[in-house]
Amino acid sequence: MRLNVFLPFRQKAERGLGRRMLARLGPTWEHAPLRRGIQGACLALFLWLFFYVCWPYTAQPARVWGGWLPLRVDAATGRVFAEAEQAPFEPVPREMVVYVSDLGSGAPQPLGAFRVVDAGGRRLQLQPVEVPKAQRLDRLMTSFGPWSLHEAEPGAWPSHYADELAAKETLAAESFLVLDPLVSLSTALAGRCWVWSLTCAGAVLLGCLVVPRGFCGYVCPLGTLVDLSDWAVGRRVGRLRVGADGWWVRVKYFLLLAVLAASLLGVLLSGFVAAIPVVTRGLAFLLAPLQTATERGWHQVPSPGTGQYLSLALLVFILGLGFLRPRFWCKYACPTGAVFSIGNLLRLTHRRVASSCIRCGRCVEVCPFDAIKPDFTTRATDCTFCQTCGGACPTGAIQFVPRGTRADWKQPGAPPTGNPSTGETTIGRRGFLAAGVGAVAGVGGGLAAASAVGRGPFPDDRETRFPVRPPGSVPERQFLQLCVRCGECYQACPNNVLQPLGFQQGVAGLWTPRVVAEWSGCEPSCNNCGQVCPTGAIRALALEEKRAARMGLAVVNRRTCLPYAGREDCRLCADECTAAGYEAIEFVRVGTQVDQHGNPVEGSGFLAPVVRPCACVGCGLCQTRCYAINAKEKGLLTETAIRIEAGPGKEDRLRAGSYVERYQRRQRRGSHAPGAPGRAADGYLPDFLD
Amino acid sequence: MRRLVWLMVFILLSVSSRLAADVVELTSGSKLTGRVTARDANAVTIEVTFGDRTYSRICPIERIHAVTIDGKREILRATETDSSPSGASTAPQPAGKPGGGPTSGPTRTPAQVEALIEEQGRTAPDWWDSVALEYPRTLDLNWPVPPPRGWDNQRNVGQYVWDVVNPNPRKWRSGVRLMHHLLAVHENHPATQRRVMNELGRMYGGLLEDYARAAFWWRKAEVDRGDAYLGNGVRLAECYWRLGNKQMALDLMSRQRPQFAMIKLWGDMGETDLALRLADANLRGAYGDLAGIYAGDACRVGGRNELALKYYQRVLAVRVPSQQAKARVERNQQRARANIEAIRLFQMLDLSRVPDGAYRGNSPGYAGQVFIEVTVRGGRIESVEVTDHQEKQFYSAINDTTRKIVRTQGVQGIDATTGATMTSEAIINAVAKALGAAME
Repeated sequence: MRLNVFLPFRQKAERGLGRRMLARLGPTWEHAPLRRGIQGACLALFLWLFFYVCWPYTAQPARVWGGWLPLRVDAATGRVFAEAEQAPFEPVPREMVVYVSDLGSGAPQPLGAFRVVDAGGRRLQLQPVEVPKAQRLDRLMTSFGPWSLHEAEPGAWPSHYADELAAKETLAAESFLVLDPLVSLSTALAGRCWVWSLTCAGAVLLGCLVVPRGFCGYVCPLGTLVDLSDWAVGRRVGRLRVGADGWWVRVKYFLLLAVLAASLLGVLLSGFVAAIPVVTRGLAFLLAPLQTATERGWHQVPSPGTGQYLSLALLVFILGLGFLRPRFWCKYACPTGAVFSIGNLLRLTHRRVASSCIRCGRCVEVCPFDAIKPDFTTRATDCTFCQTCGGACPTGAIQFVPRGTRADWKQPGAPPTGNPSTGETTIGRRGFLAAGVGAVAGVGGGLAAASAVGRGPFPDDRETRFPVRPPGSVPERQFLQLCVRCGECYQACPNNVLQPLGFQQGVAGLWTPRVVAEWSGCEPSCNNCGQVCPTGAIRALALEEKRAARMGLAVVNRRTCLPYAGREDCRLCADECTAAGYEAIEFVRVGTQVDQHGNPVEGSGFLAPVVRPCACVGCGLCQTRCYAINAKEKGLLTETAIRIEAGPGKEDRLRAGSYVERYQRRQRRGSHAPGAPGRAADGYLPDFLD
Repeated sequence: MRRLVWLMVFILLSVSSRLAADVVELTSGSKLTGRVTARDANAVTIEVTFGDRTYSRICPIERIHAVTIDGKREILRATETDSSPSGASTAPQPAGKPGGGPTSGPTRTPAQVEALIEEQGRTAPDWWDSVALEYPRTLDLNWPVPPPRGWDNQRNVGQYVWDVVNPNPRKWRSGVRLMHHLLAVHENHPATQRRVMNELGRMYGGLLEDYARAAFWWRKAEVDRGDAYLGNGVRLAECYWRLGNKQMALDLMSRQRPQFAMIKLWGDMGETDLALRLADANLRGAYGDLAGIYAGDACRVGGRNELALKYYQRVLAVRVPSQQAKARVERNQQRARANIEAIRLFQMLDLSRVPDGAYRGNSPGYAGQVFIEVTVRGGRIESVEVTDHQEKQFYSAINDTTRKIVRTQGVQGIDATTGATMTSEAIINAVAKALGAAME
């Protein structure tokens, strides 16, 4: 059985048009176009997932069409004919289900759900989704409008961001991240728990038994980016080139060892070096701001901090390694690649060279992974099955076959080298030394990071000590063990509520997401961050759960808050909270003046905000508004007067279980505080008045 | 044979009634065919049969284009007048309806109003059982007046209601329950009971808009007899009007001493002249600022914007006294200024008085100022553009609202874009400001 997918070598004279065009693209395209095609498709898919599926701003709130007047209701079918005062800007789509609300008599009255049967211009026909009951039909008949048509049931909690992501996720947005086996291995080890993406890692490792290291050759978007950068930049600078052999060729194993050792100690380092997190975060910090700037305006781009610069430097460094050798990172340094290299030991298929090899050396020349030994046999742990060599071989001696396939294979150590050890760099003394140093450095770094957890450089600063985490984040210690710092949540978060920490929490917190409520508040209709988190550091909560998940508590600064300080009326925070549907901020009148009889003076004093801890989930919308208007726009304050604080007692971080239940418990407790007497209430009309 | 004749007669009758079916033609263009059962200055009631059901539909007169009764067609309003429907719908409409209730809602006879007050006032509201009795443990239920030891809204009932209950709609119902509780507690203290009943009237009427119960409790407190308690007699009159009988309200007010609250209520009821007469008599008094504000509001409700401006201007002209009235006068002047601006910008905007050109304006939105530029040519808004903003959630507001302004050729009656209300409103306000400033 042959598993060849390369195009067999052809003499120049015989090449057809397709061949010639491929040749123009380059030798790797000419010899193994399928591989290059898949690589390109995977990169495109990765970019599509990141820049389209994760991009939240295609979501629109449920639409409302106002100003409809009922013309006629067919009593037999309940079909309604209605007319608008003006033709709507956006036509009501046919077949859509709309909820009709009657605004004719004070408070809006629901008239039920209708399917739009016909719509055009100012006219509209609606068919009830279910046959209306007598009372509803009566109301329908007697209604004079105006009506409003709602895409979502009026009064329902908005869900447009969550719905939009769910609709776009035909393929999970975090697909590539969960395919990176190092991501799930290291997080599972560090968190000492089952991580759901382990199954994906297992699947991809199984797949790579058939296509050994195929992930690196075909799928990995970082690899493809490295290829691109090598082609665009790397190959033009020859001065820095190094040989194919040296101490560096096993760095990837040392890095893998370090990552796994640190994970065992509960410190997650894979975010620094694992392929997919590195490239995802690179895009999140480099191209995502550009996308925001062009699509939504520069004012929407948060200014980058240490974390962003460091991550970008890392990406540039990795791409820059291409000056040394093409795909230097992938071949020698990538610990994710190392996982696959080790997996290759169990491979079911491999590359073999027939004895008809004429030792022309073309294969060595084209191999992008230095996976061909000087005797033209295969370095099994490096070969990515890209099959470029097969296409380049003028005699067809290179074959990709299941292991154990019998044929007239070339023997190892056969000429030209004649050296049975095939000239491979042995691990040797230096290698052992390097491995030791690598492991010790990894573990040491891990320990240092671990000791920095929760101790940060500014232990007095509550904000950095207890960063406000995304809704549904697992308890902090486990969160740091599970968060792989990929940056996917930053892209999925509308308005960049989530932004990366720098070193405020020490190395341990680097690149982890926190809520920057000063910048923007968490959208009530969104649960994206948990949906795209590949490791479960942020739980994938349903929207009902998310809106009950308490990420912090709003705290009013009574010295600066404008009404408390007696400066002026301000109800920004409370209005924002009510509009969002949480209703967690109430008022108390402060500074009431009294006339000579002791009666309060009408209109004196100010209404000041009071946070109801039982209802506040810490979304931060109040803080956004207070800061944006009172501090930034009007300059009345130097900082926000209402702030989201996290920490014990102010947030709920559950590894499992329901936030809704917890929220309801809190509500029940909260409704009886403060100081309700709890005695049986009296009747409406006292007996003596009857 | 006799039965057959009867049947023939019946069929003939029903056919003739079909032939003579009455028709109500609505301004929207649709027709209702049936039998007109009632007609007055406000509405036409028509019975319509669909299938095996007969519905009685009350058509407000302003929605009716024409009625045909017994074959005679009468055109009530030309359909073309509705050329700017959205503008008209939000403008304050004349509220005056002789003998009737408020613009929306039913009209009732005095007997019906009395019955409603008695019936509802004696039964608990439907939310009663779902609301718990809640108040701070520290509250002194004896409710001594005047309260001892200064201001403490966790101890003194009146101050608790003022500071904590009134500002929070969520607490209104439990506040009402607290009052009912106090009523039981003070079974043997008529003076305190009267205070509680007054408070109940104020809460039901002023907070919960439950006018029947408000009237019930105010009548229990006897605010309609003798000297009105804290002006609650006028509030009771308002209840009568809201419940559907204006005459009862007018009668009750005529029995009371003149009070400022009457200016407002007359204004709301459409009795602008009565309101202005009382206001004018007080404009030079110590409470001239208050009288001016109420008079201005009454004019606005009655659609007399020019006159409203004059009253508000007079409030601004009041000299600010140096003592305790200072805060009140300043507050009223602030209100007057805001109202003047609102009238100038929205109700008196006249595009034909805006010279051709491009005008800039700005208004605070969600996260900062929203800047717009509006172009006017030949008395028409040609374009509106958002030139700069800091908004986060603008969805489609930036295009949507600007297009709506161009299409409506004005700033009134434009729905805010869902999910981006503040941005929409900022654009509308900024355009209004730009045009208002440009108006000659």
